[in-house]
Amino acid sequence: MSQSPDPNDAPGHGGREGTASPPPSFDAQILALLPQLRRYSRSLTRSDTESEDLLQDCVEKALTHRSQWQGANIRAWAYKIMTNLHLNARRAIARRPSVGIEEAETVAASALPSDPLARNRLVQALETLPKEARAVLMLVAVEGHSYQEVADMLAMPVGTVMSRLSRARQMLRQKLQEENVIHLRSPR
Amino acid sequence: MSESRPVSETDLHAYADGFLGEAERKRVETHLAENPEAAQMVADWQAQNDELRGAFAPYATPRPSDLALLSAGSAASRASAPSRLAMAAAAALVFVLGGLAGHFGPMLLEKTPVMTAMDALPNEARNAYLIYASEVRHPVEVFADQEAHLATWLGKRLSITDLKVPNLQTIGFKLVGGRLLPVADKPGAMFMYEDDAGRRVTVLVGRNGENKTTSFRFASASGIETFYWIDGDLGYAVTGDISRDLLQKIAEECYRQFPS
Repeated sequence: MSQSPDPNDAPGHGGREGTASPPPSFDAQILALLPQLRRYSRSLTRSDTESEDLLQDCVEKALTHRSQWQGANIRAWAYKIMTNLHLNARRAIARRPSVGIEEAETVAASALPSDPLARNRLVQALETLPKEARAVLMLVAVEGHSYQEVADMLAMPVGTVMSRLSRARQMLRQKLQEENVIHLRSPR
Repeated sequence: MSESRPVSETDLHAYADGFLGEAERKRVETHLAENPEAAQMVADWQAQNDELRGAFAPYATPRPSDLALLSAGSAASRASAPSRLAMAAAAALVFVLGGLAGHFGPMLLEKTPVMTAMDALPNEARNAYLIYASEVRHPVEVFADQEAHLATWLGKRLSITDLKVPNLQTIGFKLVGGRLLPVADKPGAMFMYEDDAGRRVTVLVGRNGENKTTSFRFASASGIETFYWIDGDLGYAVTGDISRDLLQKIAEECYRQFPS
């Protein structure tokens, strides 16, 4: 990159180029994770506004507690922070002016599925799930974490993860069947 | 084939989620072939997975506001870890720059010793530039049509009597407006200018606690260039994504126009 040497020897600038490519810094890694964290945040919450609030809290907490990061699997660590924030916090509604609403609305509009009605029902069905079961389902189905990773994140045995996952799936299935949203394969 | 082991529900989930190896998958498929109800259930789960992924996939895209998010997080974490503030903000900034260019990492401020206001100035200037210059609708709080009000207001907040908003028309940059923002934890002012091509530059004015005077200094990262200097108890920084020559002209012009 075009980092020019400072003609006036400003301290703290320049002289960083020579070192052989260090691993991506903490902040760079968090930045790279933001898109998937935003997806996860939205999958846990009811609105774009709520989702952006959660994402913001998560980033804030990750930056504040960066010293607690052990240097391994920053992705799982960030997901853990977000999950805990979501499960533990009583979130006050609209307690801060949300920065990203306009962009979020744009994205939501472009996110309209081929069958908006079906997807809308799916999203509504999600609202009927217990928070923890929903988080487990999203971590597995959308975010692609293994059962063991989810167990570590939530500090619970894999067996508990499986029962939450099972519960979420059965509830969702039942709900959607009532609503006829997921079209079942033709019965034999 | 290990047909002796019964297929558990966990196996079914793992099958639906694609976590099984070849042999395990075959075993589950054999089981499903003989258990239509289970097969239907697994098919529904897979359909759920697809629907959920499809529903939320559009959120997993980088946004221009990601930088601001990280900066805001850094600023907030400043409260609990004050010594790190400047570093975090600067780091967030440089990272984003690197990210924009497709390079993370190599040019980061890994370990900066205690940063003085002078050190922080170019970083804060770049930060402000990156956050606000890309704003289409709200780049400033007060637009150029209220220039007199802008000058009085910011002058009052910075305790600068007779603060003048630099006029850069001769260099081809028109005032967009200005805003109040923190510079080194104190109220600071930012003025934004734009040329005919829509290129923007920002001029930052902040209080400098150290009361020393410096010559022009120059900092650059990923194409964003900043000229900065300290004049008595005020610090100035001019930032833009334009040639250094042009930026230097603007900086010199500002230097001439700001009261010394």
